[in-house]
Amino acid sequence: MANIAAQRIRREFKEVIKSEEVAKCAIKVELLNDSYTELKGEITGPPDTAYEGGTFVLEIKVPETYPFNPPKVRFITKIWHPNISSVTGAICLDILKDQWAAAMTLRTVLLSLQALLSAAEPDDPQDAVVAKQFKENIEMFQMTARHWTNVYAGGPHVNKECDDKIKRLVDMGVEEHQARVALSSYNWDIERATEQLFS
Amino acid sequence: MLQFLSFSRKTLSNNLSIYIKTNTGNTLSVDLDPTWDIKEVKEFVAPQLGLKPGEVKIIFAGKELGDNISISECDLGQQSTLHAIKITKKPNPPTLNNAVIEESDEGKPLCETLSDLSFSNDDSEEGPTEQRKVHFFVYCPTCKALKNGKLRVRCHFCKSGAFTVHSDPQNWNDVLQSKQITGLCENNPELCANVLNNKEPTFAEFYFKCSEHTSLGETDEAVPLYLIRPNLKEVPCLACADINETVFVFPCKEGHVTCLDCFRQYCTTRLRERQFWQHPEFGYTLACPAGCPDSFIQEIHHFRLLSESQYTQYQRFATEEYVLRSGGVLCPQPGCGMGILADPECTKITCINGCGYVFCRLCLQGFHIGECEAPEGDVGAPGDCSYNVDPTRAAEARWDEASKVAIKVLTKPCPKCRTPTERDGYKRLGNGWKSLNEDERKKYFDRAKAIGLQHKKEFPVGENPTGLQKITIDSFELFPSTEIFSKRRKIYSL
Repeated sequence: MANIAAQRIRREFKEVIKSEEVAKCAIKVELLNDSYTELKGEITGPPDTAYEGGTFVLEIKVPETYPFNPPKVRFITKIWHPNISSVTGAICLDILKDQWAAAMTLRTVLLSLQALLSAAEPDDPQDAVVAKQFKENIEMFQMTARHWTNVYAGGPHVNKECDDKIKRLVDMGVEEHQARVALSSYNWDIERATEQLFS
Repeated sequence: MLQFLSFSRKTLSNNLSIYIKTNTGNTLSVDLDPTWDIKEVKEFVAPQLGLKPGEVKIIFAGKELGDNISISECDLGQQSTLHAIKITKKPNPPTLNNAVIEESDEGKPLCETLSDLSFSNDDSEEGPTEQRKVHFFVYCPTCKALKNGKLRVRCHFCKSGAFTVHSDPQNWNDVLQSKQITGLCENNPELCANVLNNKEPTFAEFYFKCSEHTSLGETDEAVPLYLIRPNLKEVPCLACADINETVFVFPCKEGHVTCLDCFRQYCTTRLRERQFWQHPEFGYTLACPAGCPDSFIQEIHHFRLLSESQYTQYQRFATEEYVLRSGGVLCPQPGCGMGILADPECTKITCINGCGYVFCRLCLQGFHIGECEAPEGDVGAPGDCSYNVDPTRAAEARWDEASKVAIKVLTKPCPKCRTPTERDGYKRLGNGWKSLNEDERKKYFDRAKAIGLQHKKEFPVGENPTGLQKITIDSFELFPSTEIFSKRRKIYSL
C-alpha cells in the first residue's frame, strides 16, 4: 500500500529536481529519510513582495494514503502571513485540505505555496492577528512581514527601527522572539507590547 | 442415435460441448472439434435437424458465421449456445455471397471484427496500430472476481440469441445504452416486427458473459466493468505514474487514468474516511481523484475490485447513507444498526427484522410514553462535526472525578500539607501524616483518634459512603473504574 506513495514521491522528487524552477532556484526539495515519507521543501519569496529575498523552509510529511490524501505541509521558517500561523507554521490553503486532487504533485504544492505568499487571502485566515493587521494597516503588515523575512528567512531588508524596539524589550529581559511577536501583534507600539508581555 | 454415430465417427481430443438452438424450439447438445470450420459444423448439425447443410445458417453473438470461419476463432466457450436457423428466403447466388465474404468482415464473428481501439473513446489518435481482439472486463457473480468478458447479442424484444446485427457497435455507448444498434431477429422475425407494429426496427441488446468459467446457460451474465480497459495508448497512472496493462479510466472529460492498484487504494482511502458520495442516480459512489466535475462512477460494480470485507463495508455505508437520506432511522441498539424506513409520523419504532428493540424515533432511547427526556435540540444536526455533550453526564464521566469523590469521602486532609489521608485509618496515622513533626503528630493523633472512632460509628465495617466496595486508599491509582462504570450504567439504564 505504502509503496504507491513512496513510488509516487520518488517520481515527483525527480520531477522537482529536473524542473525549471529548481534551475531558477525558486523551489527545492530534500529527502529526510529513505522511505520517502518525510521531506524538506524550500521556496524563495516571490519578487515584489515583502518576502522577496527570503528562503522559507517547509516540512513535508507524506501520508501512507498519498496521493489520494494531501501531504502535510508546514512552514519551519517563521513567517508573518495571514494564511500561515506565526506560531506553528500551519498553512491554510484549500489544496492542502479539501481541494486536494490526486493529480497534484510536490512541485505544484510548492508553487502554490509560493503563489500564496504573493497573494494572501485575509478573508480565510490561519493567523487572525496577522489577517487583522493585513486588512487594517497593509503598510504596517508589509513592514512587519519584511522584517520577519529579514530575521528568519535571510531577507535583505534590515529594519533598524524594529531591531531597536526589540532590543529595548530584550534588555528588559524578554526573549527576543517573544518580543518580536508582541511588537508585531501591536503594530510595533512598544508600550502596548510591553503591557501585554508583562501583564 | 445420430449423435452416438457421429461420436464414433470422429473421436475428439479436446472437443467443445456446445448447445445448438433452433428456431423451432429444439435444442441439441453436440460436441464439436474446435478445428472445424462452420461448413463442417453445418454438415454435422443439419442432418440432425432434418435439413441440408445449405439450408442452415449459424448465428453467434449477433453475426451469421461464414462457412470458412473455424470454431476456434469464434471465442466459443464450453457449453456456449450456437443458433442454427433454417434459411427461409431464397439464398443469394453463391458466387455473390462468397465475394462479399472475402471483401468485408461479413461472416466473421463479432470478437474478430471489434478491436480495442474502437472502444477507447478517442478517435483523435491515428496510425498503424496492431488490430487486436477486443477486451472486455466484467465482474462475474459466479467467480466473484474481475474477469475477462465476452460480448453477446440478443434480440431486445424477445431476448432470443438468434439475432444478427446490421452494424457492429462502435463504442461503449452503443453497447451500454439500449436501442443503439438495429438488427434482425432470426428467431421469429414476423412476431417481433408485428408486435412492434413495424414502427421501429428490432434492436440488438448487448450483454456480457464471463469467459473464464463454463457457461451456466443463458441467464449466466456478468456485469461489464466498462471503465476498466486495456491500456493500449500506454497512459501512465495518475497516482503512481506507472504504465500498466490494464487501467481504470474515470468518466471525466479528460478521462483520467489510474492503475487498478491505485484505484483500489483510492477507494480504500475514501472508504476509510467515509468520503464516498451518495449520488441520487448512481448510488454510493466516487468521482475522479483529480477532482473533475461530473465524473462520478456510474456502474457501482466497479467497487467490486475492493476486497470482500471492504466491499461489505462499502455496502453497509451505502445502505446506511441511503436509509438516512430517505428519512429512515438506524436501530440504536449496539451491534444491530438495522436500517428502518417508517412513516414520518410514527415515533414508536420496532426493529422487526433485526434485534426486535422497540425505540423512540426522536430520542433513540427505549420507547416511552410522553415527552422525550432529552429535548430534541440536544441531538446534533447531521453534518455538525462537534459533539453534543450532556454536561451533568460529562461531569460524572471523568476518570479522575470518581477517584476524587472517593478520596473526599474516605479521607481527611493532613492538617499541615493537605495530603489526603484515610479517615478511619487512625491506626495508620503514624505513617500517614508524614509532614508533621513529633509534637504535631501527637496533638493530631489524639484528635484523629476521636474523629476516626466517630466515623467508625457512622460507617460500620463493610459499608462505606460511596457505595464502592474493596477500595483501599493505596490503590487509588489503579481504581477499578469498570466497577464504577457498571454502577453508573445501571443507573442510566433504569
